[in-house]
Order: sequence, then C-alpha cells, then structure tokens
Amino acid sequence: MTAWTRQKERGSLAALRLMTRLVFALGWRAGHALLRPITAYFVLTAPAAQRRAVRAYLARALGRAPGLRDVFRLYFVFACTMLDRVFLLAGRSAGYAVEVVGLERLDARLRAGQGVILLGAHLGSFEVLRVLAGADCPVEIRPMMYEENARQADALFNALDPARAGSVIALGRPDTMLRARECLERGGIVGLLGDRAPRGERMLRVPFLGAAAPFPAGPHLLAHVLGAPVMLFFGLWRGPRRYELRFEPFAERISLDRADRPAALAEWAARYAARLEALCRAHPYNWFNFYDFWGEFEDPPPSPSAPCPAAEAAAPR
Amino acid sequence: MSVTSTVPLEAELARLIVEALHLETAPEEIDPEAPLFNEGLGLDSIDALEIALAISRRYGFQLRSDDERNHRIFASLRALAAHVEKHRTR
Repeated sequence: MTAWTRQKERGSLAALRLMTRLVFALGWRAGHALLRPITAYFVLTAPAAQRRAVRAYLARALGRAPGLRDVFRLYFVFACTMLDRVFLLAGRSAGYAVEVVGLERLDARLRAGQGVILLGAHLGSFEVLRVLAGADCPVEIRPMMYEENARQADALFNALDPARAGSVIALGRPDTMLRARECLERGGIVGLLGDRAPRGERMLRVPFLGAAAPFPAGPHLLAHVLGAPVMLFFGLWRGPRRYELRFEPFAERISLDRADRPAALAEWAARYAARLEALCRAHPYNWFNFYDFWGEFEDPPPSPSAPCPAAEAAAPR
Repeated sequence: MSVTSTVPLEAELARLIVEALHLETAPEEIDPEAPLFNEGLGLDSIDALEIALAISRRYGFQLRSDDERNHRIFASLRALAAHVEKHRTR
C-alpha cells in the first residue's frame, strides 16, 4: 500500500468519525429530519446515467412508468438505511423494531453446530443482522467482501464497532476460502451478497424483472466448494426504524456437476434472481443498485456505486 | 516449455494440482517459478481451497488460513513444494 492510499484512508476514517459523532450528538430524530433535504439534493443532482438506471429499475419493479415521487422514495429509503447503519453498527439499536422471519431454520442449524452460508443482496440493509448478532447469536458472523469494500468496511468497523474489525474476509486472496471454510467448520456464518461483483468477475445472464441481467457466478461456486447449506437473508426497510429481517432456505447444498458446470451455475443464479425479483416487486424501494443493472444502455456504465461518496464508503457488498 | 528444472516433489504436486482442478494444462507445463494465481496459472481462491484439501489428503497436514506466510506459500509451485516438504506427515 502506498503512503498516498494510507493517507486517504486515514482521512476518510477521520471524516467518518466526525460524521458519526455529529449524528450521535444530534440523535436519530434530528438525523432523520435531515434526510428529506439530503435526499432531495441527491435526487436533483444525480448524474443522468444514474437517473436513467434508477427509472429503468423502477419501471420494471413497479410495472408502470415511475414518477418523481417513486425516484424520491427510493433515494429516501436508501438514505434511511445509511443513517440506521451508523446506529446499528454502533450497537445503538434501542428504538428500532425488527421483525424477524424464518429464524427457526437458521437457529436449528446453528444449534446443531452446522455452519451456514447467508446469501443476501443490495436490498434493504443487512446491518440489521447486527441487531441479531448483538442479541444472542451464538456464533461468529463473517462478511465476505471484495478487497476494496473489505478495506472500507474494516475502516467503518474500526470507527463504530472495533470488536468486529478484522471479521471481514476479503474475496480473491489465496487464503479466502480457507478462512471461510474454517469459520463454517467452527459452526459460524459467512455472509455475502450475490447481486453485484466488480468488473472482471464471471457473470451469468439470467432472467430478472423481465429481461436478462448479469449476476455473479462466484457466490454459487463458492457455496459449492464450501459444501455448507445456503440460506437467503434480507433486511427490508419497512418504515422509520422498522425492519423486517428475513431468512429463507435456499439450498441444502449447492452441488455442481463438473460435466455441465456453466448450466448448473446459471440454474442457481436464476433461482436466486427469481427470489430477488419477487422481493423487488413486494418492496420496490429497497433496491440499492443505482447503476445500469441490466447493462441495457449504450454508453459505458459507471462503476457500480451508491449515490453519494459517504454512502459508498459504508455500502458493503 | 519450462526453463527451470523441476524436482520430484514439484512434479508430483503439479500432477496433484492438475488432477484436483481438472486443468487442461499438462503437469510438466507448469513453470515451478511462475505465480500460481492471477497472471500465472490463473488460479483463484476457490482453486486454492481445492489444492489445500488435496494436499491435506495426500500429505497429511492442514494448510491454515492464519498462516501469515500463505501469500508466499501459494506464490509458486516451488514455494508450495518447499512448504509441503517441511510439513508433510506422509
């Protein structure tokens, strides 16, 4: 790492600390009151490509032409989850109501000492898991993220939740899978998001909200190699400080036939996308991929990013 | 084409890697000094796990993630062979 990147990270970490101190000093209510003007600012200043991408998604999820109200709502829900993430990460979950659905299945496995892979998406806020982890989760939870995001998440944890710093497993290193396997062998949870990947990753085009969209092959390949059961999880925003944390069975085991691996992978990716599609239709404003998800527009898409830099720093993959 | 000579354990490991990963490459084509990952043989972390599992079955010891030398161990076939030589129990 160069001195420059080190310095940049120190700088953003200081900004992060300042921001969170401000929010904590003001309290959630004041922070929340600021979200509407902040949302308006980001809606009005969104780059054209982002605006087009957001509208394209909303049209598919809503099944009608979206109005400005819909666009605002999507950005607003995203802003809400960003504010909540700060509070949840810091363990300040008083005042939050989280309805947990489907925990029994996960709990049964964990109590039997079986490791579980949790597969989520950029849908809602997965920091809601934190509430659970803080409550009485008996095992370690380790998020798996791409290198760049892993560094940012580590910075975030360092600032807000030092006990969890170092829990992130960075993807793409020789020992990545060894780490994941050891966590699962200890009966722990590894969590990752299956809807986005950096450029250069292997993608599979599968049906999603009416057209083929690229989904990463990585998560399903990883689950195959690790051989642990896979459950889906989503922390859906249902209202101010109100979340629904869903756990759903996905695969007892993802096992890919070597003879026809690409087809088998595409099948799992399609199953994942189908479930995601149903949730997008039911909770359309929880979708936080603010880029040309289907790759349907001519000009080169910007790198997948959240609508503001601070949010991007906090957005895990 | 390999310019560097290959010692017996390296050749054995090359065969093990090719078998474990079902590579199209012939074992003797793996340059013992070329990087195994990314730009070299092009392996990824999933392949690393498969190699680690194959090594523990054949040589009777576990590669652990908390080994800080992992980057060096997986740097090349030669480095991997040296590590196996040192820790093998069979």
